[in-house]
Amino acid sequence: MKINLRKDLPRWLTLLGLLVFFVVAARGMETKDWVITLLRGLSVGSVTFLVASGFSLIFGLLDVLNMAHGTMFMIGAYISWTVYVRPDTFVDLLTPVLLLLSGFTLSAVWKRIARGLKQKANWLVILPWVGLIVGVAAMIYFLPRYPITIWDVGNYSQSPVTYSYLADQGLINLPPGLPFEEITPLAAVLGLLAASLLTAFGLTTFGARSQAAPPVSWKNLILFGLLTVTGVLTLVFNDPLTLFLTELNTTVLFAIALSVGVLAGVLLGSVMEATLIRPLYSRPIYQLMLTLGLSAIGIEVVRAIWGRPEFVMPKPSLFAGVGDGCPATSLADLWTNHCSTIMLFDGRIRVYNEIFIPLVGLIVLAGIWILLQRSRLGMIIRAGVQDREMVEALGINVQRVFNTVFAMGVGLAVLGGGLAAPSMGLSNAMGEALILNALIALAIGGLTNFPGAALGSLLVGLLQQVIIKYGAIGIPIPFTEIVFKPTPPLVPASTVLLMVFILLILPNGLLGKKE
Amino acid sequence: MVKDTSIPRHNFITRNQGLAITILVLALLPFVVGLFEGASPAQVWFNEGGTSKFIEGLAIEIFILAIFALSYDLLFGITGLLSLGHSMFFATGAYLTGILLKNFETPLGLTVLWVLGAAVINAIIFGLVLPRVKGITFALVTLGIASVFHIVIMSRELGELTGADVGLQRIPSPAFINPATERLRFYFLALAIMVFFFLVYKRFVSSPVGRVCVAIRENEGRALMLGYNTFVFKFAALTLSSITASVAGLIHALYQPIVSPNTAGLVYTIMALLVVLIGGVGTLNGALIGAAIYRLLDFGLRRYLGEMASFVNGTIYILIVLFLPYGIVGTWRLKSFDIRQGWKRLLEYFQKSK
Repeated sequence: MKINLRKDLPRWLTLLGLLVFFVVAARGMETKDWVITLLRGLSVGSVTFLVASGFSLIFGLLDVLNMAHGTMFMIGAYISWTVYVRPDTFVDLLTPVLLLLSGFTLSAVWKRIARGLKQKANWLVILPWVGLIVGVAAMIYFLPRYPITIWDVGNYSQSPVTYSYLADQGLINLPPGLPFEEITPLAAVLGLLAASLLTAFGLTTFGARSQAAPPVSWKNLILFGLLTVTGVLTLVFNDPLTLFLTELNTTVLFAIALSVGVLAGVLLGSVMEATLIRPLYSRPIYQLMLTLGLSAIGIEVVRAIWGRPEFVMPKPSLFAGVGDGCPATSLADLWTNHCSTIMLFDGRIRVYNEIFIPLVGLIVLAGIWILLQRSRLGMIIRAGVQDREMVEALGINVQRVFNTVFAMGVGLAVLGGGLAAPSMGLSNAMGEALILNALIALAIGGLTNFPGAALGSLLVGLLQQVIIKYGAIGIPIPFTEIVFKPTPPLVPASTVLLMVFILLILPNGLLGKKE
Repeated sequence: MVKDTSIPRHNFITRNQGLAITILVLALLPFVVGLFEGASPAQVWFNEGGTSKFIEGLAIEIFILAIFALSYDLLFGITGLLSLGHSMFFATGAYLTGILLKNFETPLGLTVLWVLGAAVINAIIFGLVLPRVKGITFALVTLGIASVFHIVIMSRELGELTGADVGLQRIPSPAFINPATERLRFYFLALAIMVFFFLVYKRFVSSPVGRVCVAIRENEGRALMLGYNTFVFKFAALTLSSITASVAGLIHALYQPIVSPNTAGLVYTIMALLVVLIGGVGTLNGALIGAAIYRLLDFGLRRYLGEMASFVNGTIYILIVLFLPYGIVGTWRLKSFDIRQGWKRLLEYFQKSK
């Protein structure tokens, strides 16, 4: 970036003003207070950044304001919780999910078959319909009869709240796995496989009849085989796998939970883009309505499955030590005792919330930065943000890039959710609060600007924490005796006001370029 | 000279045939519902029919929503300004009415004047940011202003006036239009106001100012090039929209004994947006139809499904978006020619076969 002081004067003045504001704010606190505030700001900023960066990539490239992004964040938290606290449910769910997915990996085959049908006889066109109806019917028959050990939202002693509490105390006692009663395991596997194949056949051949079918490669078949075999193996080794996961070190389990969540998010994003968002590229404002509808549906689904009450996810063992030598005073102590807190400048700092989360945020920032600047995909994305039609004209399959970016964005949001779950707790409203934060951060930093997303998230996080801190200290107003204490509702208001001011000075945000 | 009868005479009634029929149906609705229940029209007239009173209440809610959605359609559908702070206009009307009637015992006429004044001030606040920001940034700035307003209303310092996060309660409604005792009168008043605003909007859209607003929606740069000061036209639309939304808030405060702070939140703006999208963007009568569908759907689902209602609601919106691309009125306008041709062909076919 070329520095042109004269042209960018408002921008530099704004940045300077913000810097002065934070320095003055820090001068009003004790050293330990401002260190904690800074770290907490970084933590909130990192979580906001994980949501905002995906949102910004999607908006920049696809021109879709994905209002369901906050809901994806929330779903990510709940999925990670499930894998982390209830591995048995996760293992039980794995088989049907894998089997149902397997049919869709053969879409190339289905398209080919559909074309063949069309050439043979016109009436054969109804076959996809038949396949779809039979497939859905099979799904409706087999899925409810498939035994899945799950919690009970209505019963307090078996609700997620209780399981979380027990897991935190280390007393968790998973209920025994349900046996197959109405159907035999073999029938279940074959039924689900058939349902998947038929549904995939029906769905993929609808729009594809007129298009040229892609060649069938060995990759599709291998993927199909892999998914099916994994599904069946999970069913066969269900109990040992559950036992293995339960006895695993919680740090490793947490990593597994996060990666499962991200995988599920990527899959969800990819499916969402391909089925719901893609038909609406020509009608931008309707995407807003669609994603709002999706967001409402997502919240209802979460309420139905995990219930309304809030609960917390226990921290992984690496960050949960409270025994001898804790709180840690040095990094060596921290490493040997796995302390949950560390003393820094005489202030007590929670390792997971205030050190680990910002660290992950930084790693993700660096990773995406490298991806954007140094890879072919990143080059296409950067070009697409600038001029989509030109990229298309150069013969690049934009559709596939769109799908990848959408999936990536949702994956980032889900990762944020999984990370934030142990520190923020899980609630039905966590998504809405965060999407507002992310929107404000993006508006501050520049809507389609990736470094802007990071800067905006950081500013939002810092400002919120500074206001919260001054709510306790109070701001002495000069020349009077009054000490002004910002109340909690002022926390969101302050960020909103910052956004309005910055947008009025710089309509494109701090780092955004003029359109 | 023979009078050509094939061309319809373009007077006010023939042009607004659909509206006239709608008004007639809505005017007769309470009485017809009363008849079904066994209450004579006289009983309905004196507000004694239970079901008809209930239907009137539901219809009043639809009228309020329709006026609100209409104002949003003018801003978003006609002028092309995507504002996410529209609920602020509505909440200003509702809260100001409630506070004036309850705490200051202002007569209704004066209250209306106050609300209109506040609406103009609101429009000026939004107008201040209008020339600086465009498109999605305008949406975000208006969202910011409305959020600050929302937080101010919710704040504990103003709790004596606004009731903080509980909302305004027990707003005294003037006796002659008290919705509890004089609901039929209230019903007709709300209907009249809705029709009035609808006609004003139709006139506005076909007036020179309105045409320029449409031009701004289509291409602001070109409108500027043609020598129009686009800010003035946008501000005119904004003011009219703000006044309308505030009047909707006023009726809301008179009708409901409680005004919740949610009326200032993003939810209310989104609701208006959904209504307009369901009905058809920029069609005006789409806002009315959308409001009826939205409210009835919401009411029916909540009554029969309870907890599941939002889920089904969301699904229906997604289906509407995917399969009714231009809203109900928009799709109808696109397809009505084809449908009419189809009928014609069908009739011809039957005539031939005879």
